[in-house]
Amino acid sequence: MKIWRRLVLVPSLFLTMASPSFGQDVESRLKTLEDTTKAQQQKIEEQQRLIDELKSSLGGAAAPGAADTVARPTPGEAGQATGQGQGGTTAKVTGIFGGSAMTNPYISLIVNTFFYGSDQKQAELDSRMIPGFTNVPVGVHKGFNLDSAELFLFAPVDPYLTLYANIPVTESGTELEEAYFVTSSLPAGLQVKGGKFKSGFGRINAQHPHAWDFVDAPLNYRAFMGTEGTGGEKGVQLTWLPDLPVYLQLGVEALQGDNDQLFGANAKDGPHALTIFAKTSMEIGDSGTILFGPSFIRGKANIPTVADNTTFTGDTDLFGFEMVYKWKPSRERGFVLQSEYLYRKQSGDLRTGDAADPASTLESLKRAQDGIYVQGLYQIDRWRIGARYDVLDMFKKDFILSGTQQDLGKRPWRATGALEFNPSEFTRIRLQYSRDESSRDGKTNNELYLQMLLGIGAHAAHSF
Amino acid sequence: MRKSAIALIAILLSASPSFAKVKVVATLPWIGSVADEIGKERVEITTLVKANQDPHLVDAKPSMILAARKADILMYNGLDLEIGYLPILIESSRNPKIQPGKPGNFDCSHFITVLEIPVSVDRSMGDVHPLGNPHYHYSPARILSVAGGMAGALSALDPSHADAYKSNLSAFREKIRAKEKEWSALSTKGRRFVAYHKLFEYLAADFGFTITAYVEPKPGIPPSAGHIERLIETIKETRPDGILLTPYYGRRETDFLTQKTGVRGVVIPHDVGATPGARDWFSFMDQTLSALVK
Repeated sequence: MKIWRRLVLVPSLFLTMASPSFGQDVESRLKTLEDTTKAQQQKIEEQQRLIDELKSSLGGAAAPGAADTVARPTPGEAGQATGQGQGGTTAKVTGIFGGSAMTNPYISLIVNTFFYGSDQKQAELDSRMIPGFTNVPVGVHKGFNLDSAELFLFAPVDPYLTLYANIPVTESGTELEEAYFVTSSLPAGLQVKGGKFKSGFGRINAQHPHAWDFVDAPLNYRAFMGTEGTGGEKGVQLTWLPDLPVYLQLGVEALQGDNDQLFGANAKDGPHALTIFAKTSMEIGDSGTILFGPSFIRGKANIPTVADNTTFTGDTDLFGFEMVYKWKPSRERGFVLQSEYLYRKQSGDLRTGDAADPASTLESLKRAQDGIYVQGLYQIDRWRIGARYDVLDMFKKDFILSGTQQDLGKRPWRATGALEFNPSEFTRIRLQYSRDESSRDGKTNNELYLQMLLGIGAHAAHSF
Repeated sequence: MRKSAIALIAILLSASPSFAKVKVVATLPWIGSVADEIGKERVEITTLVKANQDPHLVDAKPSMILAARKADILMYNGLDLEIGYLPILIESSRNPKIQPGKPGNFDCSHFITVLEIPVSVDRSMGDVHPLGNPHYHYSPARILSVAGGMAGALSALDPSHADAYKSNLSAFREKIRAKEKEWSALSTKGRRFVAYHKLFEYLAADFGFTITAYVEPKPGIPPSAGHIERLIETIKETRPDGILLTPYYGRRETDFLTQKTGVRGVVIPHDVGATPGARDWFSFMDQTLSALVK
């Protein structure tokens, strides 16, 4: 600004002195000089105004997103600002592909790493199953484990849709766990989600493992859906939040049905899984909230996970009921009580051996089994202490092979305790001990996890 | 006959919106209080975050989503203060009226001059807000500016009552001017305080006092024993006029510092409703300023 003025003033002075008026008396010359300076001053002010206008219109047009974040002083208080740290307001990052504030999606990376200890041998852990439920082991290694580095990308696509992608990178490669759009502007409280996403069935299912309250999934999840729940499923979801005095969310999904304990990718051509769920919520007192509701998922099954060397083909129905109560009286204190009951029915044929092998056998199988977990966590400042109890075969334990109920052994259960320290919002350190009696054979697995979760990048949202 | 029918339709058309109040959803208590001054009986206000909750660490609770679902306008503090729940709240509300870019999406911080915008920031610096200090609700000039914005936004949504919003704004302006005289007569100028959290920078700038040190070593990071020890020495040397804390932040540390140094703790409500007397924004400011000079 000062340089501008000087640049204009110097030639103007020069011009004034070189003009014919030089010969006149001093007073009139001074007067001329004064007038010229004034005129120049006015011109400079005008130009500055023009520059400011151009600047603001340019800023508005080039990066409407960034403009939202820039302070707009109002005339009344412009003079009041202390000017502290104001330098950043007009700074803009631009490159050959445009302003980065506009072209880059939000990115975050969450690393989940843990140490695992057990009194069982690794070979025993690798073959440890829940007989009658699943033959899939948990898949952890004694010692250091790197579960994943999960890359999240998200941004609005346009004023109507937001896109989310979740790309966990593991030691064995990269997956596309989720990639879906969500609508934001449909009328009447409707919302559509489509692509590949975690089903709205149940509670833990829709959460990412790093948001769970324990390192691992509860036994009933592992028994019926797998250690990550249904996982990302391809399909479309419609949810509705009607305009009622109470919170009630209703949802339906049509899914491809790839989960290898419920459905199996080859169970049927085309999508064959259907989900229905409802969730309702109320406030209890000043600091308490309760949320609960039923879920249902059904589809065709073609799965190798009933037992080793078998294939089950038939139909699957899974019912769920979730309940969570949260009490949060202050920043330093909090309590969460959460439970989910699952009941799974399957009926069809179990083939033992390879279908092409004439020696293989085919028997009818009817399974109607259930399981529940109950967990509670109490927060004191940056610490949380938690306990969880899981049990299967609670009310129903039908495993009827060729019309005969099978005796599968002891009732599977597990008890877990955990202690968390959260140094900041972005780091979690968790020590967890479990006594796992899920293998029915009396072999107890005493497990110890020391987990570390770290998040960088865009701020994650805290869903309830 | 035809004329009267047209007149009747015109009356019905113009009258129907006047019966429905504008549904305002405010994230924080102070926003609800200021919106109430501007909207008065024309609006129905729901405040999402209670004074006992940390505005930064709230979950997007179903009750909040339901309120946002029904809102005509969502008013929020901005500057990323609500980053932990606002994006998911807006998305889960399924309410087209409050989506970003719509008139029903009202960011109060758009109407103010922001202090402490960091030139560069990363999370090793603690919970630094990259868009600048978000706690501007202690600044009367800025609140007046936000109120002006609210009057404009409410008039746009409910044009038949634009005059009412305008006169409410004038009344609010008069009240704030009168109060400002009262507040600036208090001897806050030149005082020096230690603060628990980076919460009072706008207050200090507007009322001419300085904050010489913080109990938190970095925003959002609780102090270590070593940091407290060094702070005791600093307080003993500089003898500030008090240690600023809020009803929910820093009681334990301040009591310890007071016991060691004799410098008093000054409890300042962090929002409307945080103390029993802070019923609205004016009484909240009354309490804040009288606590400073007590």
